[in-house]
Amino acid sequence: MFVIRMADINIRINNKYKSAKRLCADYIIDDASPIDMEISVTDEEIATERGEIDEQFSDGYCETIAIYRKICNRFPLEFDGFMLHGAFIECDGRGYVFSARSGTGKSTHVSIWKKVFGDKVRIINGDKPIVRVIDGKIIAYGTPWCGKENFGENASCELSAICFIERARENSIEEIEAGEAVTRIFTQIMLPEDVESYEALAGHLDVMLGKTPCYLLRCNMEDEAALVAYEKMKA
Amino acid sequence: MKIKKGFVVRTIAGKNVVVALGAASRDFGGMIELNETAKFIWDKLAAGAEKEEIVEALAKEYDAPREMLVSDVDNFIAKLKGVNVLE
Repeated sequence: MFVIRMADINIRINNKYKSAKRLCADYIIDDASPIDMEISVTDEEIATERGEIDEQFSDGYCETIAIYRKICNRFPLEFDGFMLHGAFIECDGRGYVFSARSGTGKSTHVSIWKKVFGDKVRIINGDKPIVRVIDGKIIAYGTPWCGKENFGENASCELSAICFIERARENSIEEIEAGEAVTRIFTQIMLPEDVESYEALAGHLDVMLGKTPCYLLRCNMEDEAALVAYEKMKA
Repeated sequence: MKIKKGFVVRTIAGKNVVVALGAASRDFGGMIELNETAKFIWDKLAAGAEKEEIVEALAKEYDAPREMLVSDVDNFIAKLKGVNVLE
């Protein structure tokens, strides 16, 4: 058992395998801290995760996935938040989430930002940040679950823009309407099991898309891709 | 003819979005977007209305020839059947 503080929530995790604690090392706080959420997973839930991914993954790894699924499922209704699949960075104090189908090159794109802008850029979560609606503001958070490259840090930032990425030969970026972003965002979130949680999630998405400009970046893997995106999205 | 349990419609950023939750999500991933008329028909189906009732209700709302409304409803129901949304 250990306790983490993630997305401003204290979570007690009753793990069976050591991988979970290792994964969460940067987020662990005192065991005696007040708890907002408690998570345990069953062997059956671990087996289900293995079925979703690949036979070859260890029980410990599958447990970490099962834990995060359970955590994310609790957010919409209880903590005004949700998991948004994408790479989350901060640059000039502005938060950007880059979202794309797996394999498009989100991680590569944010690596280009890091290369081009250096210390001006922090990669807060490479894969699965949590987004919360707090006092009308949209805040994105780093989490221990940050993708296979392990890009991430325990930090948060107000979300300034969402950028959907598609591969292209030439670099271009355009702002898209919230309605178009809805279609794209639905492939990048995890739907809860129950209607009540989904209604809460739908409400948070509506608020987020009402406040956050969305862009479509068509890009290659050259440095120019980051420059084109930066120029369009900066304040 | 009724919408299967687990399908819900919500309006997000002006779009009417249908998703499947819980057990229904095992057979239906992704989402459907409904325009205004489709949403109207969906809500009637969800409330258990039969085709004739839906056409009547549409006729009250929309100033369109009856044959057109019947074909709108038929087409929409066929689409929903095609993606396995109706019982």
